[in-house]
Amino acid sequence: MMSLHALIVEPFTTLAFMRAALVACLALALMNGAVGTLLVLRRMSLDGEVLGHAVMPGAAVGFLYAGPSPLWLSLGGLASGLAVAALGGLITRGGARRDAGLVAFYLVALSLGVLLVAWRGSNVDVIRVLFGTVLAIDRRALLQIAAASSVIVLAIAALYRPLAVGAIDPGFLRAVGVRAPYGALFSALVVLALVASFQAFGTLLAVGPMLLPAAAARCWGLGAAGSMALATSFGFAASVSGLLVSYHVNLPSGPAIVLAAGLLFGISLAAANMLPRLVPMIGRSA
Amino acid sequence: MEADGRVILQNVTVRYGRRVALEAVSGEFVSGSLTAVVGANGAGKSTLLAAIAGVVRLAGGVVNCAARQRLAYLPQLAAIDRDYPLTVAELIALGGWPEFGAFRSPGSALRARAAAAAETVGLTGRLRQPIAEVSVGELRRALFARLVLQDAPIILLDEPFAAIDAQTVPVLLGQVRRWHQDGRTVIAVVHDLDLVQAYFPSTLVLARRCLAWGATEMALPAMAA
Repeated sequence: MMSLHALIVEPFTTLAFMRAALVACLALALMNGAVGTLLVLRRMSLDGEVLGHAVMPGAAVGFLYAGPSPLWLSLGGLASGLAVAALGGLITRGGARRDAGLVAFYLVALSLGVLLVAWRGSNVDVIRVLFGTVLAIDRRALLQIAAASSVIVLAIAALYRPLAVGAIDPGFLRAVGVRAPYGALFSALVVLALVASFQAFGTLLAVGPMLLPAAAARCWGLGAAGSMALATSFGFAASVSGLLVSYHVNLPSGPAIVLAAGLLFGISLAAANMLPRLVPMIGRSA
Repeated sequence: MEADGRVILQNVTVRYGRRVALEAVSGEFVSGSLTAVVGANGAGKSTLLAAIAGVVRLAGGVVNCAARQRLAYLPQLAAIDRDYPLTVAELIALGGWPEFGAFRSPGSALRARAAAAAETVGLTGRLRQPIAEVSVGELRRALFARLVLQDAPIILLDEPFAAIDAQTVPVLLGQVRRWHQDGRTVIAVVHDLDLVQAYFPSTLVLARRCLAWGATEMALPAMAA
């Protein structure tokens, strides 16, 4: 029987790649707690999903140009993500069916990205771009992730008020004469967050560590700041447990982390449905 | 109120895609007037308010409104996302947005004014409640308190009396009357024609275009026709 220390601590103390993966996941969880909570509160989960795939064709072009270099993959992904975010803004204005338009973008971007990578690369490359390589994160990639995460957390702190008001009462800011494009700024931040997650989780899964902990945290009926803090903690917990399970059972790490977050979401949903019935007095006295 | 509360419409036309929502509406809301906007569903009443507020693009015509930067706008309740974790006090304090803006929090003086505004609409005990947990009538009172805080020369109300309890209607009507006495221009979309007859001196009857506009006893019969 393995000791608890060997089970939980040793994989990180003995293996540098596990440490790097853990630090990267924690930095991402910090940023994803804030971005994900705002995505859920602004009812933009589908937008997040689409932008996640929008990163793909640009990253693929970066791959064609420079091979699996994190910098070029990120720059390409950032470019195509921002382009799709801008196009998404245009569909809304055109009045077409927004959800259908977004899903069209998502399918086109995903297919185009896979074609581009498969054209010059191997199947392994395709799998890497789709699902990420959280265990292959080097020092440079780690610094990129930490920088993006810091910028995003600070930006959300500064922009929180107008973003919240825009979600609660969309006409209010325009009616009081605010013309700054806060919604577009937020979409740009989401793209930046997805690009930062992309190396660890790939274009298919990057949205998972962003949305699942946030959706789970929203089940507990907290305020916005409390939800963000809880989403970040859920993100931490899912990262640690996902990495450990993948290490001990020898499974891919990215999907293991996303599944752990999904489990937390399931537990939160069940708790949100059961708690009010189990302790009706708490809800009433508050 | 000294500020110029006039709103002049010249051939105001709004289209949503191919559908014409508002066609060539012209006329003037006199400064300090209290006008009800009436008409069937889809007659363009909400669109007219949005055009005055400058939140929809005009397909044609001009809205002339010197105080546009300082108008206050009550949206329909459906436009408010009540699931957002926000308290009644925070919602009301948004009325002071021009004073604190995007990057600062409301000061204590503003919060005191928000509490006073809440008292005038009978919400004192509800300030710390999340907006998800108050009734529709209480949410509307909170939005009225936000308008009070905005202290605007022009006030646009989109269906302020729809779907609320009987106790709330007189509270809101009292506030509308106070605004009118202050000399503010008030333009309200109203469905209840008895209310219009009893409380609104002027009426605008819409059916995409303007059917009648003037003193209520002159204009309102156009609604029946």
